Amino acid sequence: MKRAALCLFALAGALLSRSIVRAEDRVTIRGAYYREPSTRVIQPVVEITKDLPNGFDLNVHYLVDTITSASSAAGTSVDSIFTEIRNEVGIGVGKTWDRTRVTLSYKYSAESDYWSHAFWASLSHTFWGNTSTIGAFGGFSLDSVGFRNRTPTCLAADGFSCPLDSAFGGVGYTQIWSPVFLTQISLDGAYLNGFLSNPYRQVANIGYEVFPDQRLRTAVSARAAYYFPEIETGLQIQYRYYRDFYPDTLPAGVSKDPWGLSAHMIEGRIYHQLSRDLEVRFLYRQYFQQPPAFWCDVPTNAGCGPTSMSVSTKYASADPAIGPIHTEYPEVKLLWDAASWESIPFFRWFAAGTFEISYGRYFQNDSFGDAHVLQTGYSMPY
Amino acid sequence: MASLGRLRLLVVAALAAAGVAGCAHSPPVQPWQREYLARRALRFDADPLEDRFRQHWYGAREGADLGFGQPGGGCGCN
Repeated sequence: MKRAALCLFALAGALLSRSIVRAEDRVTIRGAYYREPSTRVIQPVVEITKDLPNGFDLNVHYLVDTITSASSAAGTSVDSIFTEIRNEVGIGVGKTWDRTRVTLSYKYSAESDYWSHAFWASLSHTFWGNTSTIGAFGGFSLDSVGFRNRTPTCLAADGFSCPLDSAFGGVGYTQIWSPVFLTQISLDGAYLNGFLSNPYRQVANIGYEVFPDQRLRTAVSARAAYYFPEIETGLQIQYRYYRDFYPDTLPAGVSKDPWGLSAHMIEGRIYHQLSRDLEVRFLYRQYFQQPPAFWCDVPTNAGCGPTSMSVSTKYASADPAIGPIHTEYPEVKLLWDAASWESIPFFRWFAAGTFEISYGRYFQNDSFGDAHVLQTGYSMPY
Repeated sequence: MASLGRLRLLVVAALAAAGVAGCAHSPPVQPWQREYLARRALRFDADPLEDRFRQHWYGAREGADLGFGQPGGGCGCN
């Protein structure tokens, strides 16, 4: 009898937890502002999720990137400010069975000299009393890189763009060990084939940068989260290792793998409930990167040129993003559930939602310089 | 040949025992113990839009993006 009562209680709990994880009708608006010495990004985005009958759900988003830059790599001269607009729209359809969830997604991104179509699917399955989750995703993207003021040899049939195709995928496993402790491991990979360079970035004394035309990217990541109920504080930590390779037989004249970019990333987060409605999150991230073999920073290394490079004379790049960089990112974020507005006229329309605002400082030891990052948003069920 | 058969039997028996033991082992967290698992601190996917923006900016400033499950797309920085 006691066992039967326990089973009924467990069934009730399982149904309750099922209602928690179901997709809900929700609208979210966010704005992000990124500012470094020569580049400014403003990104508003809106996302809507809708629960549909028979276990289906729908997710759509639209965002605009407004990038203002004085960088020559943005296709302009240093003393000329250039603004680029990027529009992105995405749609995802999900279907949830008992313990299994499948999603199909599509994303389209367009700017004046870059267009991308991406398709991917994901699958996740929970077992062992919904405490273990195994997931996988895979997809591909078809990109077209356009050009201003140059005519590369890779032009497609359209006469003004070069293709960049990629296939990507990954697997992950999450385990809940106790009511306050869980871990996750994941593996990610992507194969890229096509025009991988920046169309406008130039290397001193050489000309336009040239990347290898193939790249295999791999990453392994581990995460853990722990919550201390007595002080209403949670911790998250993540470590990630990345490395890439040239995945094919080396082209003639190339002596060794031109890639080999590797990176270590570690990030910690502290969540603390300041009051019933207010939560604060502190984040700190460190990133260390070693450049690929073909990277060559000519301005700081005069001896580095096409005739002295150990890999090949075919490739050259001084892109700071793939150089020997170290970045740090501390951030503080506040999340406020607006339930206390329930009794205030007009404002009560927003009482079911959550406001958030964050500020971070992105420290970079390369020529991009340090950046301010401000994000804000509001999310509400409807 | 007989020893091979015994070995096979032992392996099958060991696997069956392990399977039964694994299935019999109750999950580490029961449904009524999930109160804290809904907290943001114990969710790795609590901020998908924030993750998307971070992927966007890390991808433009670092050489090792990926890891958020949604590659593809331009960066607006060409």
